Amino acid sequence: MLLAAALVSGLAIGAMYGLLALGYHVTWVVSRSVNFAQGSVMMLGAVIAFSLMLGWGWPWPLALPAALAGCAGFGVVLERVAVRPFRARGSESWLMATVAAGMLVENAALFVFGKEPRGMPSALARHPLMLFGAGILPLHLVILLTGLGLAGAFLVATRATPYGKALLAVVQNPRAAQLMGIDATRMTVFAYALSSALAGLAGILIAPLINVSADMGFVFGIKGFAAAILGGLETPSGVVLAGLLLGLAEASITALIGSGATVMASFGLVILTLYFRPHGLFGRAEIRKV
Amino acid sequence: MRRTIGPCVAGGLGLAAVLALAAAWLDDYQALVLGEVGLIAIIGVGLNVLIGLSGQMSIGQVAFQAIGAYTVALITAVAPQLFWPALALGVLLAALGGFLLALPAVRLKGPYLAMITIAAAFVVEHAIIAWKGLTGGANGIAQGSGVPLPWGDASAQALAGLIVLVAAAVFLAYAVFARSRLGLALAAVRDSETAAAAIGLDTVALKCLAFAIAAGLAGLAGGFFAPLTGFISPESFPLSASILDVLAVMMGGTEAVLGPLYGAVVVVLLPEMLAGLAEYRLLFVGGLLLIALLIAPAGIAGALARWRRGRGEAPASPPASLDLAAFLALEPRREAALAAVGLTHTFGGLRAVADFSATFPAGAVTALIGPNGAGKSTVLNLLSGFYRADAGGIFLDGRAAGRLGAWQRARRGLARGFQTALLFDGLSARDNVLVALRRGRAVGGMARDIAGRLLAVAGFEGDPGALAGSLGPRARRQVEIARALALRPHVLLLDEPAAGLTTAERGPLARLIREIAAAGVAVVLVEHDLAFVMEVSDQIVVLDRGQVIAAGPPEAIKADAVVQAAYLGTRAAMRPAAAAKRAPGRAVMLNATGITAGYGGAPVVEDVSFAVAAGETLAILGANGAGKSTLLAAIVGLITPRAGSVEFDGGDVTGFSAANLAARGLVLVPEGRQVFPELTVRDNLRLGAFARRTWPDRSELDAVFDRFPRLAERSRQRAGLLSGGEQQMLAIARGLLARPRVLLLDEPSLGLAPQIAERLFADLATLAAEGLTMVVVDQMATLALGIAERAIVLENGRVTHSGSAADLAADTGLAAAYLGGTGARPLVSPAL
Amino acid sequence: MTFGISPRFFAIAAGFGLALGLSPHPARADPPPIPIGLVAALSGQSAVSGDAITRGLAVAIDEINAAGGVLGRPLELIRRDDESNPGKGIAAARELISRDHVVAFFGGIDTPVSIALVPIANKEKTPFIGVWAAGTGITRNGASPNYVFRVSAVDALVDQRLLRYAVTVARAKHPGLMLIDNPWGESNHAGLMAAAKATGITLAGAESFETGDADMTAQLARLKQAGADCLILVGNAAPAAEVIRSLDRMGWDVPVISHWGISGGRFPELAGPSAAKVAFVQTYSFFKTSAKGEAVLTELEKKYPAIKGPADVVAPVGTANAYDAMHLLALALAKAGSTEGPALQAALEALPPYDGLIKRYDPAFTATNHDALGPDDYLMVHFADNRIVPVD
Repeated sequence: MLLAAALVSGLAIGAMYGLLALGYHVTWVVSRSVNFAQGSVMMLGAVIAFSLMLGWGWPWPLALPAALAGCAGFGVVLERVAVRPFRARGSESWLMATVAAGMLVENAALFVFGKEPRGMPSALARHPLMLFGAGILPLHLVILLTGLGLAGAFLVATRATPYGKALLAVVQNPRAAQLMGIDATRMTVFAYALSSALAGLAGILIAPLINVSADMGFVFGIKGFAAAILGGLETPSGVVLAGLLLGLAEASITALIGSGATVMASFGLVILTLYFRPHGLFGRAEIRKV
Repeated sequence: MRRTIGPCVAGGLGLAAVLALAAAWLDDYQALVLGEVGLIAIIGVGLNVLIGLSGQMSIGQVAFQAIGAYTVALITAVAPQLFWPALALGVLLAALGGFLLALPAVRLKGPYLAMITIAAAFVVEHAIIAWKGLTGGANGIAQGSGVPLPWGDASAQALAGLIVLVAAAVFLAYAVFARSRLGLALAAVRDSETAAAAIGLDTVALKCLAFAIAAGLAGLAGGFFAPLTGFISPESFPLSASILDVLAVMMGGTEAVLGPLYGAVVVVLLPEMLAGLAEYRLLFVGGLLLIALLIAPAGIAGALARWRRGRGEAPASPPASLDLAAFLALEPRREAALAAVGLTHTFGGLRAVADFSATFPAGAVTALIGPNGAGKSTVLNLLSGFYRADAGGIFLDGRAAGRLGAWQRARRGLARGFQTALLFDGLSARDNVLVALRRGRAVGGMARDIAGRLLAVAGFEGDPGALAGSLGPRARRQVEIARALALRPHVLLLDEPAAGLTTAERGPLARLIREIAAAGVAVVLVEHDLAFVMEVSDQIVVLDRGQVIAAGPPEAIKADAVVQAAYLGTRAAMRPAAAAKRAPGRAVMLNATGITAGYGGAPVVEDVSFAVAAGETLAILGANGAGKSTLLAAIVGLITPRAGSVEFDGGDVTGFSAANLAARGLVLVPEGRQVFPELTVRDNLRLGAFARRTWPDRSELDAVFDRFPRLAERSRQRAGLLSGGEQQMLAIARGLLARPRVLLLDEPSLGLAPQIAERLFADLATLAAEGLTMVVVDQMATLALGIAERAIVLENGRVTHSGSAADLAADTGLAAAYLGGTGARPLVSPAL
Repeated sequence: MTFGISPRFFAIAAGFGLALGLSPHPARADPPPIPIGLVAALSGQSAVSGDAITRGLAVAIDEINAAGGVLGRPLELIRRDDESNPGKGIAAARELISRDHVVAFFGGIDTPVSIALVPIANKEKTPFIGVWAAGTGITRNGASPNYVFRVSAVDALVDQRLLRYAVTVARAKHPGLMLIDNPWGESNHAGLMAAAKATGITLAGAESFETGDADMTAQLARLKQAGADCLILVGNAAPAAEVIRSLDRMGWDVPVISHWGISGGRFPELAGPSAAKVAFVQTYSFFKTSAKGEAVLTELEKKYPAIKGPADVVAPVGTANAYDAMHLLALALAKAGSTEGPALQAALEALPPYDGLIKRYDPAFTATNHDALGPDDYLMVHFADNRIVPVD
């Protein structure tokens, strides 16, 4: 019973990691860059949704898309300001630039939103269902299904649609992609918008479980990144699966050994995994012909 | 730059000494801030070794800083007098930690590498928390004792001064290290691991070393951190501090010695100066960092350097030549320097090489020829150790070498060049040679001189101090050959060394190759230009589908019927399309007027005008560097022309994006195997139709596969696994799937075996006959003229001739002068 | 590679040096104000606590300055953010002491930061008055003379009180401990173990959690299996709320008795309806009416428009403790007749009786006891809606 409870909530947390990891995946496959402010965008999603729903009294069917659009818009701006200038010069400084942008957003939120953590009420997080002797919130299941569903949708999109293939082609050979009529810039902007919307969605979904605060995203951002790396960054199903595994590992370590060992053990596992599988659990080596 | 190091060192040390003394007048807090600047600068130098020199990354330096700090704090808590030994131990332990982390990390790149270092920071932080018995857990340790100096414990001011001096010493050490053999080797690994292995550098060991150095310096900073702040806890080493360390180096500039100093000054002092803003501080810091990264991409040091530029190196006087034989110091031996027995290699399920056996005698040139995808490059990679053979043996100087890695074989005297010359782009041409040279016998202070002479031997005429990344393709090949020679090789492998060279340029190359062989080196050559091969080779090995189908002296190969059938093909009738003249008065499909274009600096193409009528084929001819590719790029919108206009199908499309034009049917097949390597062949082809917004159906793909059967065989493989020639076919096939209204082809025959090139042009002729409008640029002028109705000739970016294809083809004098001779010389010698 | 130091670098370095040395200070009025420092969390998760402390100090300073200041000089508060990080706290304290020449400084909510500041206060002979962090070792640090004082709860004493409440009111036989994984949790772990041993109670077990943890059911399930019949909770508002919600999720109805960390944020909002069942300890409640309480509340409402009643005094203990501590410091300055550290320390140890907001201090500190508040000054409270009201 002890483990069952841990596993269920571990899966839901893992699905969050998966959503964030999916965001890292999208920008990576399109532009070989990632948004290290992903955690801050996640916070942004939760903060916007909270402010709209509790501050302005919007109903959630309105607030949710508005918050996602806000995040996507932020992604567009971020790409323009903190990613494109650096990629255009062939510099890797987008890494640090997005970190700085994340700092900026987090501190701005601190002033606009306030310093205190706030509680996000949710009908889905009120009454637990009892399964296997453990309480599961309906929200847990929603998060899990959202994560798996989006991973599946991504897989289908990149495997079977021209647009998906075009997304993948851009980074492999930008010049050739342009010559095929694929607008590389637009694809990259789209990827950043999508990635940010995913992070925002993760933030909104998790908010009723962990509260809304300006610094809620930092740890999640890093763990989502860990999931993306574990999964191998290249395959949407891989990164979501890795997110679930990471969530499960954390929950079982906490349940079996204790909370003090969780971070050490889970990141230790990341190091070990990368030692044996340098391209992640589900990734494969890029072709490097001599 | 080297010459100016002396006075600068003196100046730097002097400044450090003054600063250290000035610390005595600071108050406690200022001393603390000065000390922090020093410590971040020390960590920054370590990161500079890791990021700037070796091209890696770590966002986990706090882990090593914590190891150093805790080592010192724990030991001095028991024995305060043991500070210095404790510091040394802390540095060692941190370096060891860095080395251990490097074991998995050196195989990782980019975000994977960032992640593993982040993970390390977390693991160390939480290990300290968990190991309460030793570390005091989250409560931390108060550092009671200071740093013992001869006159007693250091005050805050003395400690700050001491840290300044230590930091100065670290900077000095870095300046020396960066110019040293190891520093150059690290930079070589950063620029190209493949090429580094090819000159005998142990890339894994070098990257581990960089990690250990960076970690050791972080440990050094940590060791001073404990007495400086008087208290350490796991929270003293948060991940955000690591990020700040990296930011400091990035902002300072990873290229410059003093970059970390500038960065440390900014990241420490900026928040201090903004202290009055209290809680708004971090907001400003984030914004300012972003702005700084945007306006100073090369960091503060880079911006300063740009500011005072102009002190370039004086142009070198042409160096004296080198007695190559004496330098290589090899007796011509007729025994086999390199031998392969029964090599087999499979690649993505396909057998690329099967049972390949050959001997490559010393002092002789052996050429490997064969159609595209025959496995020539794979054989070179097996011989040089970049691929491991599934079966078979390789013997280098009579000793088994099949199990050695590439760098080990290089150390045993095997040098090689690459299909696209792989240089260390961040190093000067001379340093590219220098870093390989030092593997040989001691040459002492002569090294620079010898490197210059080797460049001259290879025909390099540019500035030896110029960055390799700024060199043109021909100069890159010359530098690569010079670098290979610097190894004093017994065996030299060259992959298409003559590709892209004009006949005039091929002569000196052939002489150089003969000279190298004459010095006793076994030269192995992969090359498509048969005339060139016949001229330089002592023996020829012919491959087809991974198997040796013939081997022997050139004369024998020429006469071999099997070779003729497999490789050279029979010259098919080539002029059906051109002969069938279409009616005059057709609409102009593409009209370029007064195009001037380039990539910054002087224009590459000036005032070029031409028009192509619907259904017409135009050939654009010209020597290497005449501006053909630039012209095409300007027309399809890859670059914006500086002047002139492009009309397509009656509308002005000047300044339209390439993607937009492609969607309208103006399609360029670019030069040089431009495929999407991670997508399958089939998906590559499908994307050709992206601009049409329809997915090609099976019959359309089948039609392509009929035309290119090699692609059909490999349709489910990732395109990156195809051979160079196969990739070229794929690029052309993909262009056709766009159903272009005007198709522009840039060097379609480059890298194709003669037989394939001929078949390709036959196909293009068919397309022309079917009414497709085409513009073809090709070095093989006979082929291009064979299918074109009209042609223009570019010289130095201007049109010098234009006329009907038949007239230009007949004008052999013109061909010899402007077409680099390839036009004058039949593609395949009729004597064959 | 360049190893040149250009004249421009000197210019930049000099510029920075100038900026560091001459960063603007408030213009010195005549007579010069007496600078007093605060090192507390002004940003991050615990920022609310820093604000609460600031309010208490500011109201007290306004009162003192309105009455003519101390030693003929007004008091001036200089705040520095420790970002809840001991390293930042140390830098901030050094800066306050050596550059701003504060005569004494107050500390914030974080025990790790306060612990780290103890050696500095004693070395620099500058009184350090804690107004929130309850870690036992902060005042009981073994130094002599000891420059660290506190007007706040003390973990060792709070722990005794919590356990006593668990046994007598909640009728627990095997309390289980849920502790935050930081030095504050460790301090209470030791305190609760000692208290349990002294009273002969066997604890069901002790579990820890991290601030960011999104689910505590694993730890709680282990305590439940071990037979816990009551939970003693030590943690700040956000993670403690997560504990309560995890309890709800498990459907485990168990009495929860908490340290006061949960009063530092919007605990009722975060924890949901079950927040009301948590009994916790406070040093003061603005709902507890007294003449002085009314007066301070009026001042707070005047100075901070966001405060419209006792319910809006977020994190009230910080404000109340800081208010009393500031007045005690002013008394000590007056008694010492000097701003020198040693004189001030001696004066603090021999203060006359003072009627404060929380209680009558008679006296506040002695040479052996640097804690102004004791077990009798704690009251057990719970949330009723958003108000903190006494349990009984």
